[in-house]
Amino acid sequence: METPTALQNILYMPRTSTTTESNKTGSWRFLRPRYEEKTSPCSVACPAGEDIARIEMLITQGAFKEAWETILLENPLPGVCGRVCYHPCEGRCNRREFDAAVAIHTMERFLADAAARNETKPALPLQPATGRRIAIIGSGPAGLSAAWFLNILGYETEIFEAMPAAGGMLRWGIPAYRLPEAVLNAEIARIEAQGVRIRTGEAVSATRFEEMLKSYDALFIGCGYWRDRPLDIPGAAGPGVEDGISFLREIRGGVKRDVPGVSAVIGGGNTAIDVARSIVRRGGKAVIVYRRRREDMPAFTEEVQSAGEEGVEIRELLAPVRIDAAGGDCVLTLQPMAIAGQDRDGRGKIVAAADAPVMITVQRIFTATGAGAAAPWHTPPVPGAPEAIRGLSHCVLVQDDRGAPVVYGGDLTTADKNVTQAIASGKQAALALDILFRHGAGAMRDRLASCLVGGGPSLSLEIYLNGPRRERNAHIVAYEEINADYFQYEPRVVQPRLLIEERHSSFDEIDLKISAHTAMREAGRCFNCGICNGCDNCYLFCPDVSILRSRDMTDRHIDYDYCKGCGLCVVECPRNAMTLDEEGTP
Amino acid sequence: MKKVLEGSQAVAEAVRLAKVQVISAYPITPQTHIVELLSDYVTTGKMNAKYLRVESEHSCMAALIGAQSAGVRTFTATCSQGLALMHELLHWASGARLPIVMGEVNRALAPGWNIWSDQTDSLAQRDTGWMQIYCEDSQEVLDSTIMAYRLAERVNLPAMVVLDAFFLSHTYEPVDVPEQEEVDRFLPPYNPVFILDPKHPYSLSPLVTPNAYLEMRHDIALAMEDALAIFDEVEGEFARILGRRYGMVEEIDCDDADIVFVTSGTVTSTARLALEELRARGEKVGALKIKLFRPFPVEAVRRVLGKARKVIVVDRNFSFGASGIFAQEVRAALCNSPGHPPVFGYIAGLGGRDITTQMLSNIYFEVKKSEAPRRESVWVGLQEVNRAT
Repeated sequence: METPTALQNILYMPRTSTTTESNKTGSWRFLRPRYEEKTSPCSVACPAGEDIARIEMLITQGAFKEAWETILLENPLPGVCGRVCYHPCEGRCNRREFDAAVAIHTMERFLADAAARNETKPALPLQPATGRRIAIIGSGPAGLSAAWFLNILGYETEIFEAMPAAGGMLRWGIPAYRLPEAVLNAEIARIEAQGVRIRTGEAVSATRFEEMLKSYDALFIGCGYWRDRPLDIPGAAGPGVEDGISFLREIRGGVKRDVPGVSAVIGGGNTAIDVARSIVRRGGKAVIVYRRRREDMPAFTEEVQSAGEEGVEIRELLAPVRIDAAGGDCVLTLQPMAIAGQDRDGRGKIVAAADAPVMITVQRIFTATGAGAAAPWHTPPVPGAPEAIRGLSHCVLVQDDRGAPVVYGGDLTTADKNVTQAIASGKQAALALDILFRHGAGAMRDRLASCLVGGGPSLSLEIYLNGPRRERNAHIVAYEEINADYFQYEPRVVQPRLLIEERHSSFDEIDLKISAHTAMREAGRCFNCGICNGCDNCYLFCPDVSILRSRDMTDRHIDYDYCKGCGLCVVECPRNAMTLDEEGTP
Repeated sequence: MKKVLEGSQAVAEAVRLAKVQVISAYPITPQTHIVELLSDYVTTGKMNAKYLRVESEHSCMAALIGAQSAGVRTFTATCSQGLALMHELLHWASGARLPIVMGEVNRALAPGWNIWSDQTDSLAQRDTGWMQIYCEDSQEVLDSTIMAYRLAERVNLPAMVVLDAFFLSHTYEPVDVPEQEEVDRFLPPYNPVFILDPKHPYSLSPLVTPNAYLEMRHDIALAMEDALAIFDEVEGEFARILGRRYGMVEEIDCDDADIVFVTSGTVTSTARLALEELRARGEKVGALKIKLFRPFPVEAVRRVLGKARKVIVVDRNFSFGASGIFAQEVRAALCNSPGHPPVFGYIAGLGGRDITTQMLSNIYFEVKKSEAPRRESVWVGLQEVNRAT
């Protein structure tokens, strides 16, 4: 046998201790990856423009306070909105294409409840005092929102509220089973603690308003729609006919009146549903009578569904024609309607059907067919006419020779009358006034446009204050841009609720609390569309070790000396927080 | 302890006993049983190893190259397309002198899509610098896998232990599974010649100029020679502890044989039966089983076949445009010996078709009456086919 030679075991192997860094492989690159955060569809759908993708990310990390503060920067009322907002965010959630939308509203409520329970004090980027005083008329969601944002922006704010307690519709219109009083009180207390002054029991008359135009630097009018629009049919003013808003206010005011027997509720909006469900809780049976179809109801779908669960009957395509008193009862005559084509708003157009009128006998009738402003001076002048009247998406800004500039907001000016739109209008008013004072009316359009979330219509205070969110691309991340390989099917959190039987006898909140563990798991379902959550896929997949991380792991950047532009990082980014451009693209 | 095991399970048992530290694989029939069992062992704690799930065989071999460079014992198993996908990195593993061991189940290459036995997949990798050990039964699979580690780590070359699809991978046989203590005595912990260590950083396998490459390749050639030289030593040590040895080749009734079959893998067992029948009829026939294909045991082949009058090589593989691959190797081994016997090449059983004793018997009598081969390769058992028009 020959002598084994290689077995001397000194392998002849190439190796080097010289760095290969002299070989700047970045020069091979013709595609250039970069970190570029984009806009999540939920945040665009949110009328308050909340940074939802980031909020969910912070929840996942257990940073509940920071998540809550992230909401507060865009919305002063997370405890309210987590309960009563119709959460359009979830309707645009990319996760719907995968399994089911993230329960964003449940997360929002969880954060607010956690903050209230721990009596957390938010740390927000309060701006230096401007020395200007602004009066806000009405302490509903629009007024509270305007005061909150103006306060952050350095204005002294004073809210005038006619009722003995603040909150507007939140306190007097929305039933307690949807929004418990303690939750509202906690939110208002926090707003006051930040420096907003609320003067309750101080109704502002038209005369007082004129005086205030002289004594404040600006005014915000958010008085809401408090006057019930009466039915224009024979017998509408007769006995047994009440208006729904007053009924709701009476209950929130503590009056314990039973409404036995059958009550008819006329209307299809949220007020009609609230009235009907309150009747159920007061020992009665409720029949909602609506002239269009169930699917045409402006009320939130989930509310309509809950009403059905609780035994509220909905009779559709019936228009009230007359009301007759009959021995303490009411006879409601209804004209059957039929669908004929489409209305301008896309709903079915209705016409009287050939069928004979229907008559139902009920113990009383509540009207909930819409509301209007309570006083003529609440109504904003029609925009566009004189130069001094500026119509914004959610507000009307008037600057004339009467005195200080006035912004009309909330239900008075929003197209959709609901809490979150009112908050959006309060925010728009605050930003508009700040721009007016700092940069003049001429800068209004561009400055507001630069703060839109993903092209609008929602505005972001964080963007206005030049926070990190300003760096984001307005591009709205689509589901196709999510690398779904990195996500697993995970059922959406099931909201624990009161039993139907329990709901019949009390105004206790229906939706119950979820644990922090459940919230973190649910938030973990969020794709965090468009934002970096530090998953480090880029770092792990880079074949050229060209992803550099800061010592505290919060910041990542690309070492272009060695990045060959293979694009793996961009492809493997699960959430489209990176972009790949051709070299030389500006 | 005797157990009834599939060939695949025998591989897995050997890997467990060899205390492999990193396993990476991508599933592919008919190899999957091997890594299924190993992943089970890792999950249940029967093995203290990392199991890396990868997205392709190419990544699998890349992962093992990394792991082995860091100084741990590694294993993978694959076959057919999977092995073909690894090709680039097979060269890298041997060039980087990493003693990785692989279980290779012989499966036909596509198309047509075929999961059955055929040696062309492993033989197509004969020039990658991997040692190749072909096995006949499950006991040999288990023993050879353990020995492969000892051999590979001695010469710093990777090794593949090859077994036929289904005939061996999926057939249950009694197997003597050694005790851990016995295997530990035979196979010491892996003691790498070099490792990548972040405390003393350097990079392996940078650019090598014409000034050095030739010598590197020569070293691998020498290492293959070393492997041939120490194969018997490794087997001897194994036999001393565990009482079994196989030889790089096995002579079966060759002493007085005029005609000698050359076989590999499970066909050898068929040949053993055919020999019994032919010997009973007074035929002077023998068989040479080639177990070690890389390095090729040229001397042993010459010594055994040099005495025969005729040689028959049965190949379950084919090199298109040339001939059966074992036949090529045998011819190459013999051609420089004066007066060497003629080599009759037969191609049989591709894509998992049965090779029967009757088939071998027919081949024998055909060769017996032929003076010289009519062609380089004779295809056995071809059927009439309907061709597409």
